[in-house]
Amino acid sequence: MEDAELAQAAARGDPDAFGHLVDRHGLAARRAARAILRDEDDADDAVQEGMLAAWRAIERYDPARPFRPWLMRIVVNAALDARRRSRVRQAEPMAESLESSGLGPDRMAEAALLRGKIDAGLATLPERQRVALVLFDAEGWGHADIAEALGVPEGTVRSYVFHARRAMRKALGSLAEGMK
Amino acid sequence: MTMSPFDHEPDEELGRMLREQLTGPAPEAFLRRLRGSIVDSARGNEWDVLAVWARPRVMAVAVAAGFLLWLGAWMASTDRPADQGVTMASLPAHTMVLPRVSGQDEFVNAVLDGR
Repeated sequence: MEDAELAQAAARGDPDAFGHLVDRHGLAARRAARAILRDEDDADDAVQEGMLAAWRAIERYDPARPFRPWLMRIVVNAALDARRRSRVRQAEPMAESLESSGLGPDRMAEAALLRGKIDAGLATLPERQRVALVLFDAEGWGHADIAEALGVPEGTVRSYVFHARRAMRKALGSLAEGMK
Repeated sequence: MTMSPFDHEPDEELGRMLREQLTGPAPEAFLRRLRGSIVDSARGNEWDVLAVWARPRVMAVAVAAGFLLWLGAWMASTDRPADQGVTMASLPAHTMVLPRVSGQDEFVNAVLDGR
């Protein structure tokens, strides 16, 4: 069943239909929220808040338009709101693992180092650039859907992805070149 | 990993790393919690809807009960004295006045004064 059909069933009061939509898009929403907030608990709370807001507003969804960006826009806004609320504490969840991973040759250490570099790279980006990068490269979304989810023109999304990739290349440094 | 900022196709290698980095632990449990919160919210909404539906009806029942009580009280109060009142009102005025015993006032006054 298509997203729009499930959304229409949900609008008629069927929570199971919305549950299917949660299954389809919940993890992408979680990744986008974690990219914005960089804190696991805050991100999960924001996704839940966004999903509940979407469930309550499902009657206002226009089935003629794609569902995925509509939902993601609500979740992204919830995450951005949470980010503003918790601006005072800047989460650096990967810093510890980067320090404790050491420079050992084993795979775990390499993975931890890579995670640290990705996190450091994401940390240099504004929130919307992070989301654009995640939706484009990790989720495979097109520019148009990302533009709708972020409420910006497509050209702006291209610019976001451009700058985000450049920053990530810089952050990953030799790791990026080595994996090319 | 191409990592070219000009590439218009998703970078699979970077995408895989981002997914691994950002998916977080126990994704199935996370989705289960999300679905549970939706179901809980739906149940809450049903009660809200029921409450909204019930409120005016409770008010209507209360108003109807009040009206019935008032009607019952009014009927009870109008049933008993109606005939008697009409009868008394229809009597000539002189029949409503008790016959006056001469010297009564002096007698009562004497009792009250302790004479």
